[in-house]
Amino acid sequence: MKILLIEDDIEAATSLQKGLKHSGYEVVHASDGLHGFSLANTQNYDVLIIDRMLPNLDGLTIIRKLREEDIHTPVLILSALGEVDDRVTGLKAGGDDYLVKPYAFNELLARIEVLNRRSLTNVEKAELVINDLKLDLISHTVTRNGIAIRLQPKEMQLLEYFLRNINKIVTRTMLLEKVWGFHFDPETNLVDTQISRLRSKIDKDFSQQLLHTIRGKGYILSEDPSNPKN
Amino acid sequence: MKTPRILKTSVIKLVLKYAIFITILITLGLSFLYWSTSQYTDAQLESGLKFELSKLKEVDATQGREKLISILSSNWQEGLDTRHYYLLVNDKGEKILGDLLAWPKKLDPNEEVVNIWIENDIAPIHLEENDGYWPMIAGKLADGSELLITLSVLPAEDIQEFTLFIIAIILITSIIFTMMMGWFLGQTILKRIDNINNTAKAIETGELDQRIVLSSNNDEFDELGQHLNSMLDMIEKLLSGMREVTDNIAHDLRSPLTRVLNHLDVALLESRSEKEYKQVIQDAVIQIQSLITTFNSLLEITQTEAGSYRGEWLTINISCICTDIGELYAAVAEEKNKYIHLDIAPNLTIIGNQHLLSLAISNLLENAIKYTSNNGKIELKVRTYQDSTAIVISDDGPGIPEEFHDKVFERFVRLDNSRTTEGNGLGLSLVKAVVELHGAKVYLNDNQPGLKVKIVFDD
Repeated sequence: MKILLIEDDIEAATSLQKGLKHSGYEVVHASDGLHGFSLANTQNYDVLIIDRMLPNLDGLTIIRKLREEDIHTPVLILSALGEVDDRVTGLKAGGDDYLVKPYAFNELLARIEVLNRRSLTNVEKAELVINDLKLDLISHTVTRNGIAIRLQPKEMQLLEYFLRNINKIVTRTMLLEKVWGFHFDPETNLVDTQISRLRSKIDKDFSQQLLHTIRGKGYILSEDPSNPKN
Repeated sequence: MKTPRILKTSVIKLVLKYAIFITILITLGLSFLYWSTSQYTDAQLESGLKFELSKLKEVDATQGREKLISILSSNWQEGLDTRHYYLLVNDKGEKILGDLLAWPKKLDPNEEVVNIWIENDIAPIHLEENDGYWPMIAGKLADGSELLITLSVLPAEDIQEFTLFIIAIILITSIIFTMMMGWFLGQTILKRIDNINNTAKAIETGELDQRIVLSSNNDEFDELGQHLNSMLDMIEKLLSGMREVTDNIAHDLRSPLTRVLNHLDVALLESRSEKEYKQVIQDAVIQIQSLITTFNSLLEITQTEAGSYRGEWLTINISCICTDIGELYAAVAEEKNKYIHLDIAPNLTIIGNQHLLSLAISNLLENAIKYTSNNGKIELKVRTYQDSTAIVISDDGPGIPEEFHDKVFERFVRLDNSRTTEGNGLGLSLVKAVVELHGAKVYLNDNQPGLKVKIVFDD
């Protein structure tokens, strides 16, 4: 998987590059907006990571111009501006996800993997499946091994998010953002509670555990959590 | 030479323009007045002379020459009417009687009033400096003798000079008056402006608490002063907010940063197993994450308090938000054997920022969960009253003694007995900032036992 990183902070870029390479990605770095734009415009990448403040051409303009050129590579925006409407303008400009500095590297990694289109498998399906766990998107029913499982609406959304990102680590912040729409880190382990509730419903009575906690990183829905995609 | 400051003021320029305008207006007015009065007096004079001539002719025709002469000479001899003069000549042009010494050359006895130039040599002897234009009329009597009536008016130049003199006086007075007005106005306005300038200078030199002194007049300067003052208040608030954040960051972030640093330093002192290193690094990551959370809360509070929050401002369904958050926390509470009861009237809306309100409510619920004991009961209630919507979060925990009700809203303030629980002491300050940004009010009440937090949005 090939990533273009457009970031003018050389030190930050170097450590990101190192981390991403270590995690198995191929990384191209541009430290200037114009250079970054011409790379993104001419070469093929799986994900673009674009800082908002860049010399010569700012991040949002790059994204707008790319979208005008009909280039729809997923974009993760990095920003030191953290207010909600900065996030909104970023996403409106055509970004796919928004990460505010300072962020944890795990968070970045998890989001990149979720953005990667190549690994998107369950896009247009009527049913999301892992092992013997099925979520029917039309009737909104969940079964495991043919046995119906009753879920609350939020639990359903949570499970759907996991099923759309099978074998990928998702972080607490991502879940709060994507499932609940909250952009803050609560002191309480809100997400943990929801996860353990969901787990008790889908995993408790079965030998094959599917929903796992990865310490210090987040959660993963997988048959083999020791081998995540990210 | 330096131009006096007052001459450079806009008001002096305005006043000068005004003075010129007024001068032109007055000149035009006076000229018109002069012209129309002279028209009027000329007409009066003409009809007077014509009437007198016809009367005298009638006397001559009906009562005889003696009567006419006696009238004329009585007028003349008494000298009472100094303005009227006569001259009666016979048909040969020889003077019979009169004030004028000779018949003016250009005068015809056609009973029309004309202005004739009278030289001193034919003027009435008892008058001095009387050459000039005299209005006169002459007519033929029945026997062919001719009668002339004239009257001395002030010489035309005199009247002109007099009028000019009056105009000049009025002009000079009005110019002096307007200049004085201008000076006075200029001084008054300069004084007011100087007041503002001095305040600005003081602020420039760092006296940020200086404010413009307002007068009791409530005029436009006071209005300007008020606006500037509230602008300054806002700036000072922003500045002190920034300063407070810096102080707080120094105060609250320094010790945990030191802890992380020491932790890492100590780990480096001797070589350890990979597992130990991993543990140390993981601990450091967790500590740094909590630092970032504190940092973000501080920023959020400051931005909210200063009103510089630029987030979306929409009509939001507060019932929905409270239900979502309530259910989320209900699960957490249940794990700790505490219960959150939701009592939320459906579909209540307020205008506000969804993100900030969620943040505030979640802070309050977190507090409630944190401070209630086992089997504690918490209630989240959303209700609408006549013209207000209220969110009430109550618990049966230890509550907050009334003397601390104001204090707990300050940053980093944590009541002594709560030092052992986790938290950064920013929750309630954030709640207060959010509530105030929404123009709402937050009240702390005794729930007997416990704490009741009430947020009231006025419609």
